[in-house]
Amino acid sequence: MDAEEKVSRYLEKIKKEDKKIKAFIELNPNVLEEAREIDRKIKQRKAGTLAGLAIAIKSNINVRGLRATCASKTLENYVSAYDATVIERIKREDGVIIGMTNMDEFACGSSGETSYFGPTQNPAAPGRIPGGSSSGSAAAVAAQFCDIALGSDTGGSIRNPASHCGVVGLKPTYGLVPRYGLIDLAMSLDQIGPIARDVYFTALMLEVIAGYNPMECTTINVPKQEYSKNLSRNIAGYKIGFAREFEEFTDPKIMGVIKNSLKKLENLGAEIVDVQLPNLGKGLSTYYLTVFVEFFSATRKFDGRRYGYKIEEVCGREVLRRILLGKYISQKEYSGKYYKKALQFRSLIKQELLAALSGVDVIAGPTVPKLPHELGTKIEDPLIMYGYDVLTVPANLAGIPGGVIKAGEAEGIPVGLQIQGKPLEEQRILNVMYALESNSGSRHDEKRI
Amino acid sequence: MRDDEQSESERNAERWIEMKVIIGFEIHEQLNTKTKLYCDSPTNYRDVPPNTHVCEVCTGMPGAKPYPVNQDAIDAAVEIALMLNCEIVKEPIYIQRKHYDYPDLPSGYQRTSLPIGRNGSLSGIGIWEVHLEEDPGKYDPITGKVDYNRSGVPLVEVVTAPEIYSPEDARNFLRELTKVLSYTGKVRPEGGTMRTDTNISIEGGARVEIKNINSIKGAYRALKFEITRQKNLRKRGVAVKRETRAFLEAQMITKTMRVKEEAEDYRYIPDPDIPPLVITSAKIESIKKTMPEAPHLKEQRFIRQYGIKKDDAWAITGEIEMADAFEEVCKEIDPKTAAPFFRHIIKKKLNFDNKTFSESGLTAGDITTILKSMNLGELTASSGELVIRGIIEEHKPALHIIEEKGLKRITEKDVVEKAVEEAIAENQRAVQDYLSGKVEALNFVVGSVMRKTRGRADAQTVLEMLKRKLEK
Ligand SMILES: [Zn+2]
Repeated sequence: MDAEEKVSRYLEKIKKEDKKIKAFIELNPNVLEEAREIDRKIKQRKAGTLAGLAIAIKSNINVRGLRATCASKTLENYVSAYDATVIERIKREDGVIIGMTNMDEFACGSSGETSYFGPTQNPAAPGRIPGGSSSGSAAAVAAQFCDIALGSDTGGSIRNPASHCGVVGLKPTYGLVPRYGLIDLAMSLDQIGPIARDVYFTALMLEVIAGYNPMECTTINVPKQEYSKNLSRNIAGYKIGFAREFEEFTDPKIMGVIKNSLKKLENLGAEIVDVQLPNLGKGLSTYYLTVFVEFFSATRKFDGRRYGYKIEEVCGREVLRRILLGKYISQKEYSGKYYKKALQFRSLIKQELLAALSGVDVIAGPTVPKLPHELGTKIEDPLIMYGYDVLTVPANLAGIPGGVIKAGEAEGIPVGLQIQGKPLEEQRILNVMYALESNSGSRHDEKRI
Repeated sequence: MRDDEQSESERNAERWIEMKVIIGFEIHEQLNTKTKLYCDSPTNYRDVPPNTHVCEVCTGMPGAKPYPVNQDAIDAAVEIALMLNCEIVKEPIYIQRKHYDYPDLPSGYQRTSLPIGRNGSLSGIGIWEVHLEEDPGKYDPITGKVDYNRSGVPLVEVVTAPEIYSPEDARNFLRELTKVLSYTGKVRPEGGTMRTDTNISIEGGARVEIKNINSIKGAYRALKFEITRQKNLRKRGVAVKRETRAFLEAQMITKTMRVKEEAEDYRYIPDPDIPPLVITSAKIESIKKTMPEAPHLKEQRFIRQYGIKKDDAWAITGEIEMADAFEEVCKEIDPKTAAPFFRHIIKKKLNFDNKTFSESGLTAGDITTILKSMNLGELTASSGELVIRGIIEEHKPALHIIEEKGLKRITEKDVVEKAVEEAIAENQRAVQDYLSGKVEALNFVVGSVMRKTRGRADAQTVLEMLKRKLEK
């Protein structure tokens, strides 16, 4: 099947099903033309590694000519004038951008419900939230609207919806993937990463988007890795850490599924080792204090002078709450009290995670402590919502990579196993996921359409 | 009784006038790097239409991130700090976001570094810190339009201790600082880029900040006005409010911008997009090796090394290009001859034309030529001045000017002698008058010789030659 034909099938499926799912905010009007162009390249054997793959992009990443709305009225009419670095890299490898996906407004949320364009459905668990904030990206992959999607992860925004939607997601090491062109939530935590239906596509996309950008201060200068080529199912002898603290926070139904997949890993030759994460629960407040302050700073440009609306006047409740809290705690009189303290606590959490990782290859555990709630459930207390992130924020605070793969189901709802690794050791995470994936019989070549 | 009261208040007034004035400055100057501080857009925004030297970064487009801090700008700030005798901060230097809401600020915050240099001094006045900032865009309140060409242009900010005690001292300090900055060659040479905020208080009164000062003259006028205003308030028994005032240059007054209670909270945070700067000892050493001698040190050295007067040395070191030319000239010319020529002839003309030495087109070579010719008696002092004027006005080399204007003094004896003989032959009556005792009659003959030589002969020489000839 050529790229044009595949893209038209995706478009048909989207046309039929996305009214209900709401994975996309906007489709690329030139996608077929672009696919035809790539087909010509494929015939000439000049196409890149993503040749003809349909890629969905989270609406907080700039794609020239498409709207990067951040699912907010604030940027309703903002058409990107430039490509994010990751988009340049995808285009260079001949990926086809199929459209811009739905998300929590400005990536502020873990449910996919705060979008100005309406909530996204979970294709893998109808009636439930898909998780967030990369809700549309995970849903588009789960609903087979695309081959691969890009999400962004500040405190779990790739891993959380990947878990709820039963797909594969990876948050890379902070600085491995350029952020240039990603609209900020919290600059010191944000990372772009792939969401895909299998580990191979996840690895393939990661190797395209990862790598140093000399024009970006926070990218890491390391040699390019060929993650897809180096995928290996052989995890015999891997030491996989598990922390008892995970259980304190997690629904036993989910824990059951997780324990089951740890057994599978043991059967594959890995050794499960106890690690300690005594400060696991303290990550949340550190994380949110950091997010509030950085998000307040990042949104100052939406002052109504350039992009139509002043953010505070048109945004949803959660975005406004974060801006106002950020404004409050960044006041001069509190400067030592919150943000700086958060930065200090952050290094403690990082040390703890790195210490736990030092004796093992990866740490495996649950991704989200609770099953996704039903769409439309009123959750008035933001702390309950924030609680969804308790297991995912530590990786962002420490800057380490974390991958998610479906471990099984609880009450018919997908449950994702989270695998965290040392900085820049994405390959080990991918390998563990790859081993688990082939063990569950969901290999990429079987599911490819 | 009444008289007593009046004299009492007058005595009070006298006391207010005696009160000590305390002034401090925050001076911003644009650095002349090729590109902006956090992107590759060019900095020569003056020469181009609005919003043409811009990109995603300097217009703060959603998702854009700063490039690594412009190394030339960092080096310039370090050099300026060193020239102001600062200690360079060795610890990581964070770039902070200073948040405020104004149309010229595309991201809603300005990036400003923590101090790069600290604890310096200039002309006996403490320099608290030197740091880097980015210029905002330019907002036109009348059209409501913003030009982002200037947005992101690097600025160096110098903060002084409040150790200046009069508007006159303030003016002298700013002149000296401008001199040091221009010596480094790292700031924009085309004047008018200096922006200054000043703090002023009168002993025992609240501190007032004045913004919008754009020149040394402006600073002087703003301070004069403000001192009078504050003293008048105190005379009437009214307390001076702690506030920020704007200087309105056209009206030469200051006006309240905001009082202390409304003081802005900039909510500084370290910019998460930019790792802190680290300035290594090796870097400091390499900058020290290539940086110019500070003007006051150069002045002292000139006095010592060339034995010239302090006033001459001060004038010559006013501009590094002039100081360099002077040293070049002194390789062939006696400094004691060259120095007054620089100060009284060259500097006078530059001041008159309001030009800098580097703009004038004068070269050490031209000046050496002129001074040599004067020493040899080939050029008179006034011709020397004419040549300087010619070079500056007509942009031609000294020899051309001398040639064209026929300024070379005629020293070839035969030419003068011939003219003298002709003049004697043509003016027999005057010659007879002279010989018969009318001494002044000879002036007429001298005049004739001078006309024949088009003024290039030395009148004294002609006179002596005539006398010799007629006495034979
Ligand atoms: Zn720019």
